[in-house]
Amino acid sequence: MSDSAATLTQDRQKLEMAALSAPAVIFTVAMIAFPVVYTIWLGFQTFSSTGKQSFAGLANYSKLISDYEFWHGLWITIALFVLSLVLQLVFGVWLALVLFHAKRLPGIVRSLFISPFMMPPVVAGMMWLVILDPSLGAANYVLQSFGLPSSDWLASPSLVIPTVALIDSWQWTPYVALIVLGGLQSLPPSVYEAAQIDGASPFKTFQRITLPLLLPTIVTAAILRSVDLLRFFDIIYITTQGGPGNASNTLNIYGFRVGFEFFNIGYASALMLTLTAIVFGAVLAFNRLRGAVAW
Amino acid sequence: MNDAANTDRWIRWLNTVQLVLAGIIIMAPTVWMVLSSFKPSFEVTAYPPTLVFTPTLENYAELTKTTPFLSYALNSLIVTVGSTSLGLLFGIPAAFAVSWTRITWPAILTLAARMAPGTLFLLPWYVMFRQIGMIGSYTALILSHAVITLPIVIWVLLPSFDAIPRSVFEAAQVDGCSVTRILWRIAMPLVASGVAVSAILAFVFSWNYFLFALVLSNGDTKTLIAAAFNFIGEGSTQWGALMAAATLIALPPLVLAALVQRWLVSGLTLGAVKG
Repeated sequence: MSDSAATLTQDRQKLEMAALSAPAVIFTVAMIAFPVVYTIWLGFQTFSSTGKQSFAGLANYSKLISDYEFWHGLWITIALFVLSLVLQLVFGVWLALVLFHAKRLPGIVRSLFISPFMMPPVVAGMMWLVILDPSLGAANYVLQSFGLPSSDWLASPSLVIPTVALIDSWQWTPYVALIVLGGLQSLPPSVYEAAQIDGASPFKTFQRITLPLLLPTIVTAAILRSVDLLRFFDIIYITTQGGPGNASNTLNIYGFRVGFEFFNIGYASALMLTLTAIVFGAVLAFNRLRGAVAW
Repeated sequence: MNDAANTDRWIRWLNTVQLVLAGIIIMAPTVWMVLSSFKPSFEVTAYPPTLVFTPTLENYAELTKTTPFLSYALNSLIVTVGSTSLGLLFGIPAAFAVSWTRITWPAILTLAARMAPGTLFLLPWYVMFRQIGMIGSYTALILSHAVITLPIVIWVLLPSFDAIPRSVFEAAQVDGCSVTRILWRIAMPLVASGVAVSAILAFVFSWNYFLFALVLSNGDTKTLIAAAFNFIGEGSTQWGALMAAATLIALPPLVLAALVQRWLVSGLTLGAVKG
C-alpha cells in the first residue's frame, strides 16, 4: 500500500470514529454544556414578580454573600457531608473486612447487600419516614424495649441531619463495603504471609499493612460518595423538604426551592453554580489525596 | 496447636456473628416495609408494632383505587425505556470510538452530569422547555433522563471494549471492513454481556431518578417516583398504602439489580475501580 493510500484510509477511519462519537457529543453539548453556559448567563439576571427579566450584574452573587439562608445551607451541606462520609467509610471498611473473611459469599447474600443502594432513595425515604415516626414508629419501640430513650428523629431540628445521615449510610455503606472488598481481594496475599511470619497481631497487620495499601481504594470510594453527598436531595425532599423549619435546608434543597417554589431563577442559578464549584473543588482535592496515597 | 485451632474457630465464629448482625441491619427496614404493606389497616399503626398478622392485599387494592398508580407506572416505564434506549443508541458507538482511539474527552464530558447537581441543568431546561411548550412532555422527560443513562452506558462498556484484542479489529480492517461494520458485526457480539449490564444499570438509575420528573412532568406524565408525594398522606392514616406503593416502586430495580449483582459494583464506579 502506498503512503498516500494509507493516509487516506487513516483519514477515513478518523472521520468514521468522529461520526460514531458525534451523537453522544452533540447530545451532551445540547443537554449539558449549552444549558450550563445559559445558567451562567441566568446568574446575572433578575426576574421580577411578573416574570420580567433584566440584567443585574453581580447582584445575585452579592445577595448570596449577605444571605443568611445560603450560609446556613452551606453549613448544613458540609455537616451532612462530613457526618455521612465518616459513617460510611468507617462502617464500609469494617463490613468489607467481615465480608473478606467470610471466604465464600453466595449470590443471594450479595443481592441482599446491594438491595439498599439499588432501591430508589425516594423509597428509602418513604420507608424510614414510617419506621422513624416519633409516636408510632418501629425504631422508637425497639429502642424503648432495650430501655433506651426514644427520640423525634426527622421531626427534631437538632437530630434531623444526623438522622438523614443515618438513612443515607444505611443505603450506601454496603456500596462502600463492596468497593473496599474489591480492593482487599486485589491485594497480594504475600504481604499477609510475611506479616504472619513476623508474628504481627491481626490488629497491627491491619493498621500497618492492610490500611495503607487500601487507602487509594478508600479515597476512590470517598470521591464517589462525596459527589452524591454534597448534592444531597432525594431523601431530604421526600421526608422533610428542608424542615423542620430550615434545619435540613441543604444548598441543593435551598437552590431548588428558590428556583421552583419562589421562581427566582437568577438567584437559584447563582446558588447552583456555587454548589457545583464546591463539588468540583472537593473532587479535585480528593484526587490530589489519591495521588498522595497511591503506591 | 490445639490452642491455635481454637482461636481460629473463635475468630471465624466472631466474624459470622458480625456478618449476621450487618445482614439484619441491612435487611430489617426493607422487610418491615414489605410486611407493613400486607398488614390490615388497623395493624399497620398498632403500637407496640406487631409481627404476626393475617396478610391482606387491601393496601394494594386501596392504592390502585385511590391513586392512578398504574398510569404513573406506565409513565415511569415509558420514560425509563426511552432514556435507556437513547443512552444505548448514543453510548455504544461512543464507547467503541473512545476505546479504539483513546481520545477520552467525549467520555469525560458525559461525566459532568454525574458530578454537577441536577438543579444546575434543571433551571435552564425549565426555562427552555417552557419556551417551546415541552414541559410535561415525554420527550422532555426522556431527554433529561438520558443525561443519567448515557454516562452509565459509556463507562460500563469502556472496559468491555478495551478487553477485545486489537488484532481482532486489525484483521477485520485488512479484510476491508469499515469501522461501523466492525463495531456491529465483530465487536458487538463480543461485548453483549457488557451491553446487558449497562442497559440494566441505566434502567435502574433512570427508574430511580427523582429530581427531573419533579419539575418537568405534569399530571398526565408524572412518573412513580415523582408521584411519591401523592402517596404520603397527612399523618399515619395511609401507612399501609404508602408501604404498598414503596414496595411496588422498589421492586423493578431490585429484581434487575439481583440479576447483574456480580458485575454491578465495578459498573457503578464508572471506571474508578476495576472489579
